[in-house]
Amino acid sequence: MADDLILDVQDVKKAYDGLEVLKGIGFGLRKGETKVLIGPSGSGKSTLLRCINHLTVPDAGRIYLNGDEVLDTNIDAMRARMGFVFQDFNLFSHLTVLDNVRICQIKVNGTEKAAATQRAHRELERVGLSDKADAYPAELSGGQQQRVSIARALAMDPDVLLFDEPTSALDPELTGEVVRVMQQLAAEGMTMVVVTHEMSFARQAADEIIFMEDGHIIEQGPPETMFTDSTHERTRAFLNVIAEHG
Amino acid sequence: MDIYDVLLRDFPFLLKGLGVAIVLLAALLVIGFVLGMGICLVQLYGPRSRLVQWPLVLYERIFRGVPIIIMLFIFFYGISGVWDISAFGAAVLAMGLRSAAYQSQIFRSAFQSVPAGQMMAARAMGMSKIMAIRHIVFPQAARHAIGPWTNEFSSEIKETSLAYVIGVVELTRQAHYIITSTQGNVLTVFAVVALLYFILNRTGNSLLYALERKLAVPGFEK
Amino acid sequence: MREFIEFGIEWLPELLMGVPVTLSLWVIAITLGFFLGLVLCWARVYGNLFFYWISTAYVELFRGTPMLVQMFFIYLGLPHLGIVFDAFTAAVIAITLNSAAYQAEYFRGSVLSVPKGQLVAARSCGMTQWQAIRYIMLPQALRRVIPQWSNEAIIELKFTSIAYTIGVVEITSIASDIGSRTLDFFMVFLWAGVIYLVLTSTVASLLGLLERRTYVPGVTNV
Ligand SMILES: Nc1ncnc2c1ncn2[C@@H]1O[C@H](COP(=O)(O)OP(=O)(O)OP(=O)(O)O)[C@@H](O)[C@H]1O
Ligand SMILES: [Mg+2]
Repeated sequence: MADDLILDVQDVKKAYDGLEVLKGIGFGLRKGETKVLIGPSGSGKSTLLRCINHLTVPDAGRIYLNGDEVLDTNIDAMRARMGFVFQDFNLFSHLTVLDNVRICQIKVNGTEKAAATQRAHRELERVGLSDKADAYPAELSGGQQQRVSIARALAMDPDVLLFDEPTSALDPELTGEVVRVMQQLAAEGMTMVVVTHEMSFARQAADEIIFMEDGHIIEQGPPETMFTDSTHERTRAFLNVIAEHG
Repeated sequence: MDIYDVLLRDFPFLLKGLGVAIVLLAALLVIGFVLGMGICLVQLYGPRSRLVQWPLVLYERIFRGVPIIIMLFIFFYGISGVWDISAFGAAVLAMGLRSAAYQSQIFRSAFQSVPAGQMMAARAMGMSKIMAIRHIVFPQAARHAIGPWTNEFSSEIKETSLAYVIGVVELTRQAHYIITSTQGNVLTVFAVVALLYFILNRTGNSLLYALERKLAVPGFEK
Repeated sequence: MREFIEFGIEWLPELLMGVPVTLSLWVIAITLGFFLGLVLCWARVYGNLFFYWISTAYVELFRGTPMLVQMFFIYLGLPHLGIVFDAFTAAVIAITLNSAAYQAEYFRGSVLSVPKGQLVAARSCGMTQWQAIRYIMLPQALRRVIPQWSNEAIIELKFTSIAYTIGVVEITSIASDIGSRTLDFFMVFLWAGVIYLVLTSTVASLLGLLERRTYVPGVTNV
């Protein structure tokens, strides 16, 4: 294991009833890096992301976060150090925006209420939603809900943030506000793994793009090379389709 | 003496009967709540083994499929054969166990109406399963349950009157005593009794509606 | 267990004589309650202020008071006004009136859940209001109400046991009679419980079948 890796994924495998979805995936992430995971539907991107924090338990392989192995026995503590942003937000619908951002700080990390409140306000400001602290999720637009869910993840002070298609449940006009928040985070040095079809984000914010297909990593590299002169036929074909439709 | 004097004289007895009905109601609802919640949690989060799940299904089927009068008799005569139980005790037990069968189903569908993503997000943030149930799923399920629970409360109030058949001296039996002892106007006595039940029901319902409004959160109104 | 079976062999035939009485009480009452419920629902949804208030008061009154008190009121109370019914008729009336109140509420809920556009569309293709209700509203509303209606029907089936208190010779009453002859109340009520369980389960499966038979995609969700 390379010693400066924040997240180190080694040879992860996962099958559902005999269907091999991940056939041995490995990659690493240094502090402050943003990697964008792309690939056709069904290629296993979500499964990979969920294996990293054991929302889906991998069949084989190892995952290290800052040198500590992610195991079933320490999973709650490890998850607290990894933020996860869902496609459909999953804000806690009975809690106000402020409480959504506070509750896990208090209940999981044991932060004092006052400190948690302060932190929550800071993160809400960061995503541009200070004025919505007292609203309930149902009173927000999809874009606002997704920004709250990013703030909720940030408030836990995570080592790494995992995004699973954070904008694909949003109308095009709301996608921009979420992408801007993510770009800002990348620029501020947050460590992130992002599954997305937003190629503008990938081009601008990614340090590296990972192209997955059929349970394998086909190719990875900086956006400049991937977008312009990818060596792989499959990657080029996929990027062409995305460019036309996405 | 006309009926109004009788009613005036005997009204304290009716109130006493009402008191017994209320205590019976409270006791059966508490038993039903605790046991019903237990059943619901085992059904949703407990071992999936048929050895555990099957008896619970059977329990619900039986208690929901047999009239409460029959259950009252079975408990009263069944238990008093081996152990000296009061009619009131038997009524609390029979009605409490039965209410558990109804309440467990109310809770179960309330828990099930909380989207799976809520649990997933809580776990992804590092909450343990128990914490996630307690802080995230339960508060939402409670809001879904409160409406159906109000209905259950209403029907149990009315069913306390059936404890009459095994000799619990609750409101309806007090009314019967008054009627047999005075030959008075039965119609008026029962009208007064009906009114007392009606008021009790209404009061309980308004309190529960008030609670529902107090807990109301945008996105949960039905 | 052996004792239970022997008891059953001896007394089940007599107990079963109560089944036709219980079932006819139930069928007559919920059928009458169905039509009265429709009328009450109509009065509440489409009626003028007068009908609205009458039906609302009716529904609240019957849902707010116990069936037992209602039955006593009719069987023991009304004779004081010179209105006398035999026990069976009094029980039918009580269950009908009680059930109508609940059925009306369920009908109302499902009528209100049929999209407004359906009636507008019916009127705009030339139907009268009555035709629109009869051919468009009712077929949809009745389908939607089946699950709740089934629940209500089964509750009333169990409630027929209350008729025992005014001396209708149905299952519960026969059981109680056998109990006082054999002095084994526990056994006989266990058997009565089994009979009711079979009745309610059978009715539940039949109504489930009805629900599937009348299924139309988009109108109901099964
Ligand atoms: N819980 C599950 N049970 C069985 N099969 C599953 C499960 N989750 C995912 N799969 C299968 O695994 C494969 C990969 O799914 P995954 O969701 O990881 O793909 P993805 O790359 O995220 O696709 P998309 O771009 O559509 O989100 C698919 O064939 C999917 O049907
Ligand atoms: Mg996916």
